[in-house]
Amino acid sequence: MDIRKFKELVFAAGRSAGLEEMEIYAARTKELEVRVYKSEVDNYNLSDEGGVGLRARYAGKIGYAYTEALDDQSVEYLVNAVKANAQVIDSEDEIEFFAGSLSYPEVETYYPELDQVPAEEYINAALEFERTAQSADSRVDSVNWALTGYFSSDVFIANTEGLEQSFRQNLAYGFVSAVIRENGQVKTGSKSKSIYDWAQFDPAAMAREAVEEGLSLLNAETVPSGNYRIILRRDAARSILATFSGVFSAEAVQKGLSLLGDKLGTQIAAETVSLVDNPFVPHAGGSRPFDGEGVAVQKTDVIAKGQLNSFLHNLKTAKKQGVQSTGNASRPSFKSTVGIAPTNFYIEPGEDSYNALLTQLGDGLVIIDVQGLHSGANPVSGDFSLGAYGYRVENGKVVGAVDQITISGNFFTLLRDVEKVGSDLEFGLPGGAGNVGSPSLLIRGLSVAGRRGK
Amino acid sequence: MLSEKLIAEVLHAALSTGGDFAEIFAEDTYNTSINMINGIVEDGIQGRDHGVGIRIFQGVRSVYAYTNDLTPANLIRVAKEAAAALPGASSVQTLVLNRCAVDNMHLIKIRPSDVPQARKVEVMREAHTGAQGYDQQISQVTVRYLDTEQNILIANSEGLLTGDRRVRTRLAVQAIATKGNEKQSGFYGPGRHMGFEMFDLINPREAGARAAKIAVTMINADYAPSGRYPVVIHNEFGGVIFHEACGHGLEATSVAKGTSVFAGRIGEKVASDVVTAVDDGSIPNAWGSQNIDDEGTPTRRNVLIENGILKGYMVDKLNGRRMGMEPTGNSRRQSYKFAPTSRMTNTFIEAGESTVEEIIKNTEKGLFAKSMGGGSVNPATGEFNFAVMEGYLIENGEIVKPVRGATLIGKGHEILMKIDMVANNLARGQGMCGSISGSIPADVGQPTIRVSEITVGGREGGN
Repeated sequence: MDIRKFKELVFAAGRSAGLEEMEIYAARTKELEVRVYKSEVDNYNLSDEGGVGLRARYAGKIGYAYTEALDDQSVEYLVNAVKANAQVIDSEDEIEFFAGSLSYPEVETYYPELDQVPAEEYINAALEFERTAQSADSRVDSVNWALTGYFSSDVFIANTEGLEQSFRQNLAYGFVSAVIRENGQVKTGSKSKSIYDWAQFDPAAMAREAVEEGLSLLNAETVPSGNYRIILRRDAARSILATFSGVFSAEAVQKGLSLLGDKLGTQIAAETVSLVDNPFVPHAGGSRPFDGEGVAVQKTDVIAKGQLNSFLHNLKTAKKQGVQSTGNASRPSFKSTVGIAPTNFYIEPGEDSYNALLTQLGDGLVIIDVQGLHSGANPVSGDFSLGAYGYRVENGKVVGAVDQITISGNFFTLLRDVEKVGSDLEFGLPGGAGNVGSPSLLIRGLSVAGRRGK
Repeated sequence: MLSEKLIAEVLHAALSTGGDFAEIFAEDTYNTSINMINGIVEDGIQGRDHGVGIRIFQGVRSVYAYTNDLTPANLIRVAKEAAAALPGASSVQTLVLNRCAVDNMHLIKIRPSDVPQARKVEVMREAHTGAQGYDQQISQVTVRYLDTEQNILIANSEGLLTGDRRVRTRLAVQAIATKGNEKQSGFYGPGRHMGFEMFDLINPREAGARAAKIAVTMINADYAPSGRYPVVIHNEFGGVIFHEACGHGLEATSVAKGTSVFAGRIGEKVASDVVTAVDDGSIPNAWGSQNIDDEGTPTRRNVLIENGILKGYMVDKLNGRRMGMEPTGNSRRQSYKFAPTSRMTNTFIEAGESTVEEIIKNTEKGLFAKSMGGGSVNPATGEFNFAVMEGYLIENGEIVKPVRGATLIGKGHEILMKIDMVANNLARGQGMCGSISGSIPADVGQPTIRVSEITVGGREGGN
């Protein structure tokens, strides 16, 4: 059933069931994903799916329900389920059904040419990932991931207050990972990228980079436990930022789940650190013209030169704090309730290249990846203790690989200990926590556990 | 959900090119989730997942497509579009479907859809009270209630036509303790393949108190010392070490490609003699159980390691083709949106003969990891990392004080060889396991075990 027709049926059924205000949030996504293994298409996934979420006010309380089937049975199910849920809600939070912003920005989220790339091209690119990686070095044992994919989605929001907006987004991506084996050692190196202009996608170059990284990790050793000067390379820095990004959400603040609650307007990070939420980056995963409540997006300076300037808000948290929504209402899918998430969230790049950072590090460690983020990091206290690997640096030169260490510290302390910010800003593949990016960060000191003594 | 005639037509369309096997997985699932923060119901959502996944094999190639437009014309179109990714011409004969009823091992007494929302909220309030009332240092309590009824139909070109209904219920409590500027959290989340009768077994008040106890113990704890020393890992959710560090390496997904350290080693010694490990998806009403796996193969008890010797893997159809092995009832997926692959169900180390007291008494200096957090592993290298949620220091054979912030890192296969004591108190804990076929309910488990040496990462660098 057409979404606009389905909306009319739901609103009509809702009205006769006594629902006061209603909002439909619908998404429809087409995806293709290709994985190659040993010169064969190992996995080929096609999908075309979507659904509708309904939220509505009943007797003053908000209920949610969703369905993936757009049929008459679902109209009734949605209305009944929303009503049943609204009846058990205690929260007195004021929820606003937004009538719409005065205007909406033009954001580049859709690249029509990308829709024209045939499935075969994705297969060829994945094959090239594998072929190039496999032949790049005799120590490449296998290519455990050679993956390409594409998605295009249509988002539609409408409510009984007059709001009706939609937008379309598409993106492709690639991921290659090589397993390196030498003298009983096993290492992996990987590279991922999101792509909108297919012509700029160079799978062979990505494969070579993945192999180089894997090779660079051979003969790794642990290091004596102690405090080290550290570069968190862009990818490791981004992983840590993504893990703790929730502390900047006004929802976490208002629920007492963020230690930043009373820090607005104060210096919480080194002056080199500016953190922004920017939904206007062309063809980035988190870009969009409006948020999950239909509010027009804006760029938000969360940390400006070390000072905490703003939290990320949706309508509910903004009203509570007496400010305007920052357009960060998130609905990761039509199944989700409205929360808060960043759009494209990143530390503003500085002027020093990664190599310049190495020089300034002098002696210390470069961390290129951290493990155990969903268990070894406490998003409330900011404490983390994470498996890590990377390189040992002496006199500004990489002298060897390091593994079997854990780095421990606290996110809030880390923000203050940033000595330099690199110029090498890079985003990851967009995920649930928004599209997070970071340049490499030179950190004054972090506790490292490796082997005992010297 | 789908008529036999339509199923046959879709399977035919799927085999219209060179495919030699086709499968349909149809699903109609009803979910409920309710969130309560500090005793206040913040939101509740109910939803209906509804769709069909179509999978085609050609040798060891596979193609997967899914849609939630279930009109006959669309299903046939999707099957053909998926088939187009495979070369060759059809060689399909007539298809005869044999409807095969499932023996239900997991009786459901109270279907969640028959329980009013208000009753579910009552249980949540009890859990909240149990946590909030545990100690004055508890500053936040989040309670989440989840239930799901998944109705599935599976049909394939071998003539299989079967179905199952999986009903699961879970209560998850997170408690946060505050002291000055510091916060620590504790979590406990029991779940079963059961309906609302789960609460005859699980006292929500006690569940809440358990989460609170962890948070309170940890807020008053010093940081764990880092270094390499013996670690005693407690039973129940302590089994996450085996799940993450070894279990994933025993899934055919990584074995078939030779990326697992356990590949090609059946019959070899991979663990110390005291270790026997099992995956069993047939335990009545356990969280990770189901009557059949998501390819329609009945679940069963599979011995993975027996007295230290590698006995078997967890195998799905596709990887079974690669490995020349039969499926073991381990093929699972989050929903129709995922192609199934070999996954764990309820995986645990079997009980041994020691007592917990003996193990502690025999440990001069070490860490007692009483509650584990989650963890992750690189399947290619076996390197794991996971957090100790509730830890204690052992000195001279006695537990002396709580310690926080410890993480255990190492390589799974090395740790297996270093397990030197196994207690007699096997218990299982519940988790959600994320991997390539999505997030699925799985039990981890073990008795209390001792590992002679693990690298412990803590805040106190160096010692």
